[in-house]
Amino acid sequence: MKNKLKFEERFKLNSMLTALLLVIVAALTLEATSLIQYYYAQRGIKEEASRRAESQLENTKLKIDGVLDQVEAIIRSNVRLTQWGLDHLDSLDMITSIIVRENPVVSGSTIALVPGYSRKYPLFSPYTYLDPETGEILSRSLATKEYDYPTKEWFTKAIETDKGYWSEPYIDVGGGEMLMTTYSVPVRDGEGNVAAVLTADISLDWLTNYVGGNKVYPDAFNLVISRAGEIMVCPVETLVMRKTIQEASRDFEDQDKVVAITQSMLNGESGAAEIRGKTSNSHVYFAPVERTGWSMSIVIPEKEIYGEIKNTRRLVEILQLLGLLMLVLILSFAAKSQNQFKTLSENKEKMERELEIARNIQMAMIPKTFPPFPDRPELDMAAAILPAREVGGDLYDYFIRNDKLFFCIGDVSGKGVPASLVMAMTRSLFRSVAGHEDSPATIVSNMNDSMAEMNENNMFVTFFCGILDLENGHLEYCNAGHNPPLILADTKMKLDTIPNLPLGIMAGMDYQEQEADLRFDDSLFLYTDGLTEAENINHELFGEERMSKILSKRRNAESHLKVIEEAIKDFVGEAPQSDDLTMLFIHYTKAREGYSAHHLALDNDIRQIPRLSGFLQAIFEEKHLDEATSMGINLALEEAVTNVMNYAYPEGTIGDVKIDVRIDGNKMEFMVSDNGKEFDPTERPAPKLDVSVEERPIGGLGIHLIRSIMDDVKYRRESGKNILTMTKIIS
Amino acid sequence: MEVTITQQENNTVLVQFDGRLDTPSSQEVSQRLTPVEESASGTIILDCEKLSYISSSGLRVFLTLRKAAAMKGGKIIVRNINDNIRSVFMMTGFLNLFEIE
Repeated sequence: MKNKLKFEERFKLNSMLTALLLVIVAALTLEATSLIQYYYAQRGIKEEASRRAESQLENTKLKIDGVLDQVEAIIRSNVRLTQWGLDHLDSLDMITSIIVRENPVVSGSTIALVPGYSRKYPLFSPYTYLDPETGEILSRSLATKEYDYPTKEWFTKAIETDKGYWSEPYIDVGGGEMLMTTYSVPVRDGEGNVAAVLTADISLDWLTNYVGGNKVYPDAFNLVISRAGEIMVCPVETLVMRKTIQEASRDFEDQDKVVAITQSMLNGESGAAEIRGKTSNSHVYFAPVERTGWSMSIVIPEKEIYGEIKNTRRLVEILQLLGLLMLVLILSFAAKSQNQFKTLSENKEKMERELEIARNIQMAMIPKTFPPFPDRPELDMAAAILPAREVGGDLYDYFIRNDKLFFCIGDVSGKGVPASLVMAMTRSLFRSVAGHEDSPATIVSNMNDSMAEMNENNMFVTFFCGILDLENGHLEYCNAGHNPPLILADTKMKLDTIPNLPLGIMAGMDYQEQEADLRFDDSLFLYTDGLTEAENINHELFGEERMSKILSKRRNAESHLKVIEEAIKDFVGEAPQSDDLTMLFIHYTKAREGYSAHHLALDNDIRQIPRLSGFLQAIFEEKHLDEATSMGINLALEEAVTNVMNYAYPEGTIGDVKIDVRIDGNKMEFMVSDNGKEFDPTERPAPKLDVSVEERPIGGLGIHLIRSIMDDVKYRRESGKNILTMTKIIS
Repeated sequence: MEVTITQQENNTVLVQFDGRLDTPSSQEVSQRLTPVEESASGTIILDCEKLSYISSSGLRVFLTLRKAAAMKGGKIIVRNINDNIRSVFMMTGFLNLFEIE
């Protein structure tokens, strides 16, 4: 007991530990799964963000290039005209006003002469521009002392580089405070000397609108900086053209990184980087506009990129937690029910033990010693119950009283303990009633009355009761709703039974009795429907046909049951046996002095005839028959067998001829049977014996000889067999 | 089943049976006796001293010879039949068909 308790405690502890371990493993698995998923999702999203940013940068660059191309083309196309104008300085302002008027993108234009080119004007630079407020095209000269255009970047760089030059962006202080940039190209005179610089101013408002308005993420922002690091486009307008990116970057948390990025941008590189921030990290994507030396960048706060997936991850985590919680609950329930199950299965075990005891008691009531009557050579009996898993209600019983075998077989409706109790009662009733009653019908009626009175559960018993007179094989029987037994005589057939009601249904029922004669060596096979209704795994029934095929007259009772049991086992296979299976085999065999039975089977071949003679000779010797009788019988049987071989089996067919000899005192019965086509030798006309030699037919003597020798000759066709029975009374 | 066929003087053939003339052996004997049918114009002696058994097939062999003799004007003598075979001859009316010695 102590040990058991310990064991149970350990068992509980073990199962708790197992449960805990299970939860931990489940949690880890879930987390790992979610992490992997998260990692890949994050990677995908990051790739998506960089794709979006890069394509935005590319689009912006295309847009900028488009505008720059347009401006450069306008200027290029006016270089010729300007060269011409160098000789007609008065017309230069006309050229600039044409450029401005005809190209809306150009908001101002000048042609500034290289100082000293004109002897007349040391500085000369007519400027035409669009008044941003009125929309009028105005002109003025930039050749003022204050402005000193030869020092301006747009002028010096164009001369210096000797090609088109885009100026650093600047705020046009004159009007509208617009962000501007200027494109300038040197213009050469007829001698090839640089004589002037032709320019076009463009507003970068469109850039601010375009870049500022196209955001890849709502909270992302775009930045464009100039060659020098001036902030051209930025969401914080106060910074535009007021601070360089270098100055602005000092406000960032991750300064080193920002500086590095800024440097890359100023170097005209493209790339991507991450910046750690106070509250959130940011991802920066940048690309240059080579022609102007600007650099564009897109800054996306990390929470913007991963915002959704982070929310999803939180949801997943919550769900995981819920799942784990449920797992814990389920496990604790399972542990509880396992304990319950243990108690249950202990109860079940106890019940099974008790049922087994019940079954043992039940089986002890049934006679099981075989052969049951060793001192009765006239009886070869065997019986068996193959019990289903639980106790059932099959029964059989037999005893001998006054040289008569009283026997019964029955099947109680239902299963389990109730059926087994009814079975026990039925068997006791049979013993007590059959102990003094000599008629099966009376026995069955009495039993029925007793059982019907006591039957409160409406259980009934199919029951067959028989009384076999061992002196002469006379059988009296009464069948109360049971499967008709089989008689294995010359052929196998069902015993004719009247459909009486089963026992226990209604008191006062009249049960009818029937009778039959078992001849020497006949058998009676009784069974319960557990045999014919045995199911295999395909739910096919064993059936009467299979049963009937197995039954053969030529085996003794015990081997019959063995063969059937094996056939059933083979048939049923793995399928569970659902019902008791009970068999009772009564072989009315060698009985009193002078009884004997002999069998012989011959192939359908006349060369087998000598075997017949040998077989018969042994019998004759045993019976001390005189030579004349012996020869006569031999002759009759040879004629009978030859007839079968010649007529029942068409030439070339295979078959056999069976000879059954039954000797009862001075009466000898010979039965010749075959499976051939119907052939009745007794129908053949008797040959005319008193005719002349010429008229005597060659054949037809066989049946005549048989008739002459035997005392009785009968033919019958039964179950596809020709059966010729010849009887000889020995004087 | 042993059959001995001996040609004798006066157009006589002696046939001696030894054993059982049952269905299988009758087939054999029937073949053996086919040449004897040629002598059916004379006398055929069937010596049954050692014939222990005869079935209808054996009787048929006898009858075939008898018919041949009848056709050819010869005669058949059955000699030394035992009681059992005699009773078979009686049952089948053969006693009337043959000259039994």
